[in-house]
Formats: sequence, C-alpha cells, structure tokens
Amino acid sequence: IAFRLYCPREPNGMYTYSSHPKPVEIRKYRDLPDPQLQYGNIMYDRRVVRGNLQDPGMQQRQQAYRRRAIARKQAKDQLKTKTPEAIEGRQHVDVQTDSFLEELSNIIQVSEMDCQTDDFLDKPSTPLFVPAKSGVDVETQIEEGDLFDFDLEVQPVLEVLVGKTIEQSLLEVMEEEELACLRTQQRVFQELRNNELAEVQRLEEQERRYREEKERRVAQQKEVLKKEEETAEKIAARVFSQQYLAGLIPAVFTALRNHGYFYDPVEKDISVNFLPWLIAEVNNQLDKRYAAREVLDNIIYEVTQKRLLEFTHLMLGQNCCDS
Amino acid sequence: MTTAVMDPNRAPVAFGRRAVPQLFEQLQVQDPAHKVRALTSLCDLVHEPERLYQTVTGGFLKQLQVLLQDEDAAVRSKTCELLQLVMNHSIGRSALLASSLLTPLSDLMDDPSASCRTNAHRVLSSLAQQPAGAEALLSLVHKLMLKLCQLEEVRQEKQEEEQELLLSTLTSCSRLDPLPALASDGVRVLGQTLTHTSPSIRREAAAALMALSVPADGKQQVCDQGILSNLLVLLHDRNLDVQTNAAGVIMNTVIIRPGKYLCLELGVIPVLLELLSEEEDEEQKKRRKTLVIYCLRALTALSEAPEGRVILSTALPLLERRRNEQDEDVRRAARTAIKVVTWKP
Repeated sequence: IAFRLYCPREPNGMYTYSSHPKPVEIRKYRDLPDPQLQYGNIMYDRRVVRGNLQDPGMQQRQQAYRRRAIARKQAKDQLKTKTPEAIEGRQHVDVQTDSFLEELSNIIQVSEMDCQTDDFLDKPSTPLFVPAKSGVDVETQIEEGDLFDFDLEVQPVLEVLVGKTIEQSLLEVMEEEELACLRTQQRVFQELRNNELAEVQRLEEQERRYREEKERRVAQQKEVLKKEEETAEKIAARVFSQQYLAGLIPAVFTALRNHGYFYDPVEKDISVNFLPWLIAEVNNQLDKRYAAREVLDNIIYEVTQKRLLEFTHLMLGQNCCDS
Repeated sequence: MTTAVMDPNRAPVAFGRRAVPQLFEQLQVQDPAHKVRALTSLCDLVHEPERLYQTVTGGFLKQLQVLLQDEDAAVRSKTCELLQLVMNHSIGRSALLASSLLTPLSDLMDDPSASCRTNAHRVLSSLAQQPAGAEALLSLVHKLMLKLCQLEEVRQEKQEEEQELLLSTLTSCSRLDPLPALASDGVRVLGQTLTHTSPSIRREAAAALMALSVPADGKQQVCDQGILSNLLVLLHDRNLDVQTNAAGVIMNTVIIRPGKYLCLELGVIPVLLELLSEEEDEEQKKRRKTLVIYCLRALTALSEAPEGRVILSTALPLLERRRNEQDEDVRRAARTAIKVVTWKP
C-alpha cells in the first residue's frame, strides 16, 4: 500500500515520492488474481544482474567456464577407478591406522585469497570529455525585489499570526472578564445575603427576647395572682378558725370543771387521804368490836350450849330420878 | 498554530478535532518534559469552549487522575493548572465533581512542591464557588482546617497565596454549612489568622469568620474566645475589604446578648459611628456600600440593648442623614436602625 505525502511547505514545489516497502511480484501465471501471494526471493531472481558489471562479455565467459568445468568433472568421474562395493552383509568403514590419531572433521580449514587483474591495465584512462563550446554565454543576477516583495508577501502571513494570537488572547481576556463578572455578581449576592441573614437573625433574636419577656411577665402575673389567692384564703381561714376557737376555751374549762379537774386541794386532800383513813380506822375499830362481839357471841353460845347440855343432862337425870 | 519550531515549550498541535485527542495521547509518553509540553499546549487550547467541551466529553479527565500522581512536580503542577482552566466553565465543574479527581487533589495539598500546592488550592477554591462543589468539599473541611493550623504555625512568605486560597475555600464551604468548620475548632484558628501581616489573608480570614458566626454556636465561640478585640483593631485597618468583613463579623456576633454586652464594653459603637460618618464621593460610595450597610446592621443589633439605645439616641442625626441616601439598601438599613433606636418598651 503506497500513500503519498504532499508537502506544500517547500516553496519551489519539488515532487517527492515515498512508498511503503512491498515485495517484488512474480507474475508466473497471468490469470492469478492476487500477485502478492506469488513473490520470490530476490537473491535468486534471474532478472537481477550479478557479478562484475564492468565487462559485459564477462558474464557469458563465466557461464561458459562453468559449463566446461562441470563437463570436465563429469568425464573425470567416469574414468576414475573406485574401490569395489562391499559384499552383502559387510560395510566399508574408514579407519585410522596411524599411531597418532588425527581428528577428521567435515569443516575444512579454508583460507581464501583472490586477485583480479584489471582488464584494461594496458589502456590509459580516457580523458574527460569536454564538448566544444557552442552557443552564447548568458548570465543572470537576482536583484533585490526581483523575486518577490517581502513586505507585500509577508502581510498575509503576519495577519494570520497576529490574528491568531489576538484571537487567543481575546478569548482569554473575555473569559477572565466573564469570570470577574460572575464573581462580582456572586459577591454582591453574598453581601446582600449576609445582610438579610443578619437582619433575619436580629429579628429572630428580638422576637425571642420579646417572647421570653412576655412569658416572664405572664409568669410573674400568675404568681402575683396566686399569691393573692393564697392570701385571701389564709385570711378566710384565719377568721374562721378564730371564730371557731373563740368558744373553745370556755367550753374546755366548763368541761374540765365538769369532770372535776379543778379542785380545792385541801378539800381534795381531806377527801382523798384523810377520810378513807378515817373510815378505814373506823372500820378497823368496828371490826374489832365485831370481832369482840363475835367472840363474845361465841362464848355465850358455847356457854349456852354447855348449859343446855348440862341442863339436858340434869333434866334427864332428874327424869330418871323421877321415874 | 503554535508549532514545535516556534515555541520549544509547547508540543505541536494537530488540526481541528484531532488536536485534543492527539495531545492526550502524547501524555501517555513516559518522558516528563514531553508531558509538560503537551500540558502547556492543552492549557492554551482549553480556553476555547469547543475544545473544553471536547476534553470533558471525551472522557480524558481520567488520564489526568494518573497524571496528578506523577512523580515529576512540574507535571503535577501543570495538570492542576489545566484543571483550573477546566473549572472556568460549568460543564467542566460538573465533570470534575462526577469524576473521582477530588481525592488525588486533596492529596496534592500536602505536596512538597509549592507551585503544585498553590495550583491545587486554586482548583479547590474555584470548585468551592459552586454550591455542589462546596457540598462535595465539606468532607474535606477538617483536613483544610488542619492545613490552616500548620500554615499558621509556620508563617512564611511563599505560603501566603496558598493560605489565601485555602481560606477562600473554607469561606465558600462554610457559607453552605458552617458546622464542620466549627467542629474543627475553626474560630480559634481564624482568630489567630486575623493578626497576619498580609491584608488579603486578613480579608479572607474575616470573611471565613463571618460565615462561621452565622450559627448561634459560632457566635458564642467568637464571644468566648475574645476575638472581638482583634476585630476592633481590624476595623481601623486601611484595606476596605478587611474593614468590611470585620464589620460583618461584628454584625453577626452582636445579635446574641453576650456579644452585645462585650461590644458595648469594648466601645465598638464610636468606631462604627466614625466609619459611618466618613464623607464619600460617588465612586467611593459604591465601594463602601457594603461596609455602610454592615455598620448600620450592627448598630441596629446593638441598640436592642438599652445601654446601646441610650448611646445611639445621641447619634440619631447621623442615621437620619443615611436614611436620605440614594441607595435603596442603605436607606432600608438606616430606617430599621432608626426604628429600633427610638423604640420604647
């Protein structure tokens, strides 16, 4: 595959050709469609000239020599006597019989030397062929401004260069400007936002404070109310209890008096200590009297009984006597 | 248009549609110098939207992942630059989010080469500008915080840009969700960064603090760690952006009660009034608008406290003047301020 590179930069417009390396085709068969499959080794191509290119007749002479040498060799081989073939079952083997063995190898030590005679040694070299001068001598000289006018020619090139540079730089500058605009806008927005944020927070704070204040006031008010209520209740309770307890003391005293808790100590003492003793003593005395009376009664009884007995005895006795 | 003859730093670019794929094929070559040249050409090409589209949709970003872990620092750095250019467009950003390039990028933050680190930070910072990107980067916030701590401990000249980019990434992420940054002890680190010598770093740190002080927890931390005195110093700074951001942080912090009382103790009100009363011309007005609005809001919040109201009622004429200004936002802010100052319970 060959493709051409057309280089337009050379001002004198030289044509160059270069191609991708491809193998030499051998069109042996004309009807073969793809010549690429048939390619041969260029070393063995008959079309390539080999050998000494100076003498054109040398090639044929060499071929003739070669042919004669081959023929000679063949003739010689036919005349040469050879050793007889080996009998069946045997083999001829080369053996070294010397006392010192020699190494035989296939590789023959070869040193080459060649020499070539110059065919035309006896002939002097031909002198340079200078044709006779014919025609008119003409010379030319390029003056300044003949070929081209630099200032005119350089205009478009310069325009392109400068234009591209300016375009690039304009692009960059516009970009930067755009960015700067965006940044400014962002900054303005941020400031406004900060402002409003601060305002919002302040208002929030204010709101919070007012609310707290209100709550505190309300709580305070509630407290006051509660206190008032409590005080009223206390007063009512106090009055009531005073009333209730007003009649308490006389009642208590009356009750106590009724229960006999207030007493005259002397009277009490007499009644508690003296009188029982007195009565006890009186009882003792009376008991003594009763005891004495009882004893007396017993005596009287006994006496009476005895007397009765005796009288009975007496009576009996009398009765007995009587009888 | 750039050929190898014209510029030895760039690889030759094929024509038309073949340009981008051919350059990516060249990136497969092992030679680092070759790769750098190809990457430089790519960086030039990618400015054009068509080429960018081709790069993103052709699935070449996966190759960049391998390149991000390359041994040569120049290759890594150039790849980050290329990613940075890709991020300029929204398809690039979404493609970056969809691909798994975030992990090698975050590993590049610890790279030994400084330019590599800076470029990686640039990519992350521009990614964080987009909300989806910021969301993806939220998981990295902890690591970013650690890096910030490291950078703070060793304050060097060359690392300023890196620190600045890191801070801007943190700010963008925290605007979306400040909680991870707060959890990694962000307020303390940023408080230290506020005293840095470079104004751009101070500005970024103050912006990050402003984002962090939005939740109540952040506000409490700002009060507790005594950063308010640093912020007061920053209010006197010469750089307008630093002043604006510091005023923003104060505005956020005075909403809670401890913040209010701390600020009243530190005497922030006179400073803010001074900032408001500066005479401006037309052009300066536009630039100072944000500062003015933040100051007004901070004063509004401060006047919620009775002591603040007392002080500010003497400054009413100043607020009245602001109310008659041309800009609608400033007018609104001034009106609110006046309303709060003159409120009676």
